[in-house]
Amino acid sequence: MPAETHVAQGPIGPDEVYRILRERLAEILEIDEDRIKLDSSFTADLDADSLALIELVEALEEELGERTVGFSIDDEDLGDLRTVQEAVDYVVARLGS
Amino acid sequence: MGTQRITVAVDAMGGDKAPGEIVRGALDAVAQLGVDVLLVGQEDAIAPLLPDGRAPGIDIEHAGEVVAMDEDPAAAARRKKDSSLVRCAQAVREGRAQAMVGAGNTGATMAAALLRMGRVRGISRPAIAVPIPVPAGTRHQLLIDGGSTVDCTPEWLAQFARMGREYARTRLAVDEPTVGLLSNGEEPGKGDELRKRTFSLLEKVPGFHGNVEGRDLMHGTVDVVVTDGFTGNVVLKTLEGALRAAVELVFGVLDSTPEAKEAGKVVAPLLLDAAAVFDPDMTGGAVLLGVDGVCVISHGSSSARAIVNAVRVAQECVETGVVGRLKEAIDAG
Repeated sequence: MPAETHVAQGPIGPDEVYRILRERLAEILEIDEDRIKLDSSFTADLDADSLALIELVEALEEELGERTVGFSIDDEDLGDLRTVQEAVDYVVARLGS
Repeated sequence: MGTQRITVAVDAMGGDKAPGEIVRGALDAVAQLGVDVLLVGQEDAIAPLLPDGRAPGIDIEHAGEVVAMDEDPAAAARRKKDSSLVRCAQAVREGRAQAMVGAGNTGATMAAALLRMGRVRGISRPAIAVPIPVPAGTRHQLLIDGGSTVDCTPEWLAQFARMGREYARTRLAVDEPTVGLLSNGEEPGKGDELRKRTFSLLEKVPGFHGNVEGRDLMHGTVDVVVTDGFTGNVVLKTLEGALRAAVELVFGVLDSTPEAKEAGKVVAPLLLDAAAVFDPDMTGGAVLLGVDGVCVISHGSSSARAIVNAVRVAQECVETGVVGRLKEAIDAG
């Protein structure tokens, strides 16, 4: 998996972020986790609309916020996150900053 | 729920007449319905409206922020975590209240309920089930969606139909509710692409009657009328405007000649009594279906009486286990 090639920049590494993101997104979209790949596009491949992405962001903030105090995602950045890979990279960077 | 008193969280800052009418409605609800109310909002605005700053059956939960009527719903629900609206939904999530009532920004109420309470499994988007009076009938119709989800897919409309049917069972006491798809003609091929694709999905929903038209509203052709939130909201506002115009027309006639004025002395009180069924304050509020908790949305210009009736709807939904029954029905397919 490409995620394994990423270098962890904080206390929670990319593999863990990817696992959490997949799990939460699968719950929100009510789809099998296997459908969610790193190169999946949120809209084209997974049919996730803006409200679903906001649900995902809230879920990530809640879960990761418990482990990394102050973790949050900027709403303004949401529009730039088109694929799962981009979201994982973004979250890892935020966790490490 | 046994004999335990139900607590309803009320957004004291939501609505055109907040907080005055909302707080007055909360006081009346406690007195009339035997519920407790958690008034959520700015304490310095709420407390002066209560006798001696407090009242039996009422608790105040301070929330520093307010979601305005014109704010972006999702952004407000996400970022204003200290708002009265989000805190109401949080109170339900944490079990400090069993239901919430809000008369503020409808979209933000939906988003706050969705984000804080979560969704019912099997439901992609929530929908507002609005009871529509049927003057010649014995029970209301339900219009779903009244404005929660503006852009819909056929699958979501099919989910609305299933939710509306179950809600009609519980709230309208109809054993086998009939369902109609709002379109621009009764024939199966009528409508835009969304309606046509939805029609074929609804054929698998028990009780599906087929397409219905705007004129079937308020006439009880079917128990549940399904449409997207955009159309549903336009329909509701159209009905409201048309009814107001009809009332103005009738009272204009009754004021037009001396003979009509004499007749009006007899007829006008009867008409006013009959027209009470159309008063949105009497309905109180509409339930947001598809979220994992009871959320009642009242109209923006809610009076104290509307709040009492909205709290009553919330209370009845808790007592009849609306959310649990909905989950079971959706799970059962």
